Amino acid sequence: MNKNRVVRLTKNKDSYGITFNAMASPCEVIIQSTDKQLAAKLGELIATEVWRIEDKYSRYDHSSVCSAINNHAGHSVAIDEETYLLLNFAEQCYQLSDGFFDISSGVLRKVWSFQGAQASEGNNDKFPTAEQVKQMLKNVGWRKIYFDQKQITLEKGMEIDFGGIGKEYAVDRAIILAKQLTNSPVLVNLGGDLAVTASRLNNEPWQVAIEHPGRDNNHINFADMIISLKSGALATSGDARRYLIKNGKRYGHILNAKTGWPIDQAPRSITVVAPQCIQAGILATLALLQGANAEQFLKKQEIKFWARR
Amino acid sequence: MMIKEIKLVLLLPLIIGATGCVSLGVEPWQRDLLAKDEMSLNGSGVDSALDDHIYFSKEASSGGKGFSGGGCGCN
Amino acid sequence: MKTNTNIKAALTIATAALLGTSNAAQAETTSTAGVEESAWEFDSAFLFYSEVDRVSASEAIINATKTFADDQVLNLKLTVDVLTGASANGAVAQPNVQTFTRPSGNGQYTITAGDTPLDDTFHDTRVQLNGQWTQLIAPNYTASGGVHISKEYDYLSLGINGNIAFDFDRKNSTFSAGFSYFQDTFTPEGRIPKPFTSMLIGDSSSGSWDDDFSETRIGSEDTKTTTDILLGFTQVINRRMISQFNYSYSMVDGYLTDPFKILSVVSDFNAPDSGIAQDYIYESRPDSRIKQSIYAQSLYHFEHSVLDISYRYMWDDWKITSHTIDSRFRIPLGDTFGRESYIQPHFRFYQQSAAEFYQPFLIDGDTLPAYASADYRIGEMTTFTVGLKYGLLVNNGDDLSFRLEYYRQIPTNAGFDEPGVLNDVDLYPTIDAIIGQVTYSF
Repeated sequence: MNKNRVVRLTKNKDSYGITFNAMASPCEVIIQSTDKQLAAKLGELIATEVWRIEDKYSRYDHSSVCSAINNHAGHSVAIDEETYLLLNFAEQCYQLSDGFFDISSGVLRKVWSFQGAQASEGNNDKFPTAEQVKQMLKNVGWRKIYFDQKQITLEKGMEIDFGGIGKEYAVDRAIILAKQLTNSPVLVNLGGDLAVTASRLNNEPWQVAIEHPGRDNNHINFADMIISLKSGALATSGDARRYLIKNGKRYGHILNAKTGWPIDQAPRSITVVAPQCIQAGILATLALLQGANAEQFLKKQEIKFWARR
Repeated sequence: MMIKEIKLVLLLPLIIGATGCVSLGVEPWQRDLLAKDEMSLNGSGVDSALDDHIYFSKEASSGGKGFSGGGCGCN
Repeated sequence: MKTNTNIKAALTIATAALLGTSNAAQAETTSTAGVEESAWEFDSAFLFYSEVDRVSASEAIINATKTFADDQVLNLKLTVDVLTGASANGAVAQPNVQTFTRPSGNGQYTITAGDTPLDDTFHDTRVQLNGQWTQLIAPNYTASGGVHISKEYDYLSLGINGNIAFDFDRKNSTFSAGFSYFQDTFTPEGRIPKPFTSMLIGDSSSGSWDDDFSETRIGSEDTKTTTDILLGFTQVINRRMISQFNYSYSMVDGYLTDPFKILSVVSDFNAPDSGIAQDYIYESRPDSRIKQSIYAQSLYHFEHSVLDISYRYMWDDWKITSHTIDSRFRIPLGDTFGRESYIQPHFRFYQQSAAEFYQPFLIDGDTLPAYASADYRIGEMTTFTVGLKYGLLVNNGDDLSFRLEYYRQIPTNAGFDEPGVLNDVDLYPTIDAIIGQVTYSF
């Protein structure tokens, strides 16, 4: 794997910006301080942590813990405490969502090829048959996974995927490390999922621009918006570009882990604010899984959010 | 040999056209460099204003970037 | 889904277990509408411009910007400049001493043989105020409006402008359209001369002088209006590059003549005193000018440095065309000198062709053209600017910079044959100038 692992430091007016690439996204850390040594140290610390998490939980990395678990489906694989905690978290999400959120549903992508799909009627060839979906669904099901503090066992043919929580988890880990190192305000942004340690100096908020991730067929984009963030995190779920169209109906990339079919009438994307990034990410995903009721679901939970349809 | 050259000539506009339509622009989170002061199209605003005033009064052209304006009796 | 359970609370507990954090943490957001009010930001600059043996100018700018809630931006700018020194009056150099009347009519000045005639009476102070308000009027639509007032001893300029910009494709592209309108009033000292009348030269203390001088004048003030339309397109090319393209159309109507400029009328090629000035007449320009230009600018961010390069092509109905290339290259120096700093070389190239009525001089006995001006600034000319800027961050992110530039104007002969003695003098003298500037942003 060709990994471009460089940390860049740039001086801005009253802050330092640290940029690096991880998890297939440009990543950014901003520290409101003019202490260059501190900024460099923070950048190194955070980038190292994010890369560590990427290496450990990426399903694309053959030497990752995730790959080890998936490649030994049918056998038990020893796990460490961090992995146990993540699996435990995934378990909670599975239960809270009544089975809609399932980190074993990733295998469905083998029949649902959204990647690179364009919004046209002409890509029906990428559309799976009901039989294909049914067959693949046999390999989905968190209930069929056994794990405890020491080990995990998947049924043969199953896979797990930390893609839905890994990036948000990395943001939260980075914030913990930043708080340990410095009192200066820090913002961590991993490809749009972000969190801050505190408000900027003089209690000023961080200005975060959220733009719609995609365009409609006429290339008209939607209004962006600016969120003033003083503490906490925000995460976005959904991607308007990844969907298929058949018989005039749009199938989004959020799949129902129970049926193997895309969730009907889900918003294109949802951005949620929460104290921790991983919470924001899960809430956004859970809302998408509610389909037409996404907004209602979040309103009922009194959660601050922005939905794009 | 001729055929090869024609192909190249034909391909070139296609490549430019393709990159022109598909990959122009960036996603919001890729604006790290564009957001810097020095990447602003009007980055040296004060310098430009002073320069415009000098060249307005010393040369026959003005404006282009902004309004050419009236503004002083220096020309 | 378990819509009855408090999913938020349950997730908070799950997150605390995962991250080992307390669940007291709160997310706090404010106004989703946009930016909050900021403090005033100031840019101040002092510039010194000095031509060898000619004009010197000092200019001070203070520029204040405040961003209000909802992204409304107020910009106020005060400019004060003082101009002193000598400026070419349009007459050609001669092998003998020349005497000219001052524009005011009060007194005369003489020019040494072989020297380009310069009028050294220029002294002017100008105060300019600009106000500009910019705000979002609808999602992706930004509107801006401004006023301009500039006052000199003999000149008043009032202007308004408006602009609307539309962002699309994730704000990667922007179309903009703007207009500006200026109304200028010129009340030159010594009033406005009658085009093509002879400059009165003689004893200004004589009793009839004032009446005779008044004969050469047509009024005390005149006006001109300038209407500009500017269409622009800005495109983000990629993470490192942004480009802008503009088209501008400018209509200037009214008094476009320079009341201080004259032309030498010299003896023809066959005369025994060929090339010797017989008369000096006030210049005359058309009362309208339509200018158009296209402008392209690109900024490219290399690994560390930033290249800013622009090109402008201007053409007008006076048959002037010009090319301008302007480039700046900003190189960060890191904190080599104990502070974060950068250097920025600047290079500018400009070339213009002459206006169709430009004449370095007129030939005695020839029919007068409809319009004529010997102002080198509308003649054929090439200019260069090379400069270097050094900037550093001081205190709490304040920006201090120094700029030193060298500007050379090289007027050239647009194909005019020179009779007799004019071959022995320099009709197109090169002008060298130094520009120094200090800028402080806080």
